[in-house]
Amino acid sequence: MEIFLNQMAELLEVESVNLQDEITSFDAWDSLTSLSIIALADDVYSVSISAQDILNAKTIESLYQFIQSKK
Amino acid sequence: MSFNPIALNGKRFLISGAASGLGRATSVLLSKLGAEVVLLDINEDGLNSTKELCGDSVVHCITANLQNPVEIKPVIISAVDKWGKLNGFVHLAGRPYVSPLKSINHNTTTEIFNLNTYAAIELAKVFSSKNVFAGDAGSIVFISSVYGFVGSAANVGYAMSKAALHGVTKSLSIELAVKNIRVNCVAPGFVKTKMLDNVSGLFNQDYYNTLNNLHPLGLGEADDVANAIAFLLSDMSKWITGTILSVDGGFTAQ
Repeated sequence: MEIFLNQMAELLEVESVNLQDEITSFDAWDSLTSLSIIALADDVYSVSISAQDILNAKTIESLYQFIQSKK
Repeated sequence: MSFNPIALNGKRFLISGAASGLGRATSVLLSKLGAEVVLLDINEDGLNSTKELCGDSVVHCITANLQNPVEIKPVIISAVDKWGKLNGFVHLAGRPYVSPLKSINHNTTTEIFNLNTYAAIELAKVFSSKNVFAGDAGSIVFISSVYGFVGSAANVGYAMSKAALHGVTKSLSIELAVKNIRVNCVAPGFVKTKMLDNVSGLFNQDYYNTLNNLHPLGLGEADDVANAIAFLLSDMSKWITGTILSVDGGFTAQ
């Protein structure tokens, strides 16, 4: 979980993120960041997710759980 | 026999990435044109399906992981020992890599480079040997992409691998001319293949519509690319080498 939080913080261009943070609330959120999260899920967790999956998850924690559930 | 200057009778070609998409369409077309084909892919089941589509033609299948360069020479040498020397090859094996800069990954980028680019060089190295090349009217065809010419976001790893093939094509066309081996490259636009389905699955309908609009002639068919490959392998193109042929429905004309 700690590693995932650090990875999300890097993609969202902030020092740190919290589990309850809404993914789309960050200044760096845009379609390319969405693609970056999709690439991260594929490269690091071998999980295929869509842009809609990220929007549906809403929070960092829900996204983490969604990725874990697909592994 | 009727006049058919693109006939490939009596020639033997190797096709990498033959298990699906452009590789499958190319294999079927070359077979129909009379060539004996050696199909290469990591996916054995896919190769067998392609072989069935080639009908009664002479078709051989070999498997290798082209991301691992040391696997390439032994399988080609073994194929030549069994079925004879080659007149040319097409390197169609390749993977897309959709990733913005901030999530690009060195390991994945290296895998993409090894398969899309270095495997092409290694195949050329093995093919150009007297032990493998049949010695007459040799032809090599690489497959790049419109993204070897123009840019798009989230595509830096793939674009690197494909733009590099343009340099490889031109360098090898000079180096291998003395051996009577021509080296050309086809740069396709988006065609309706499983690879496009996999990539476009990341996006929505708007993106798909945008893709379609980028091609004045609309999205392509696998056969559109296969036809260009067949031309470059045939003696119809015997005075063409070092060329990057855009087959993209007008994508890069804009």
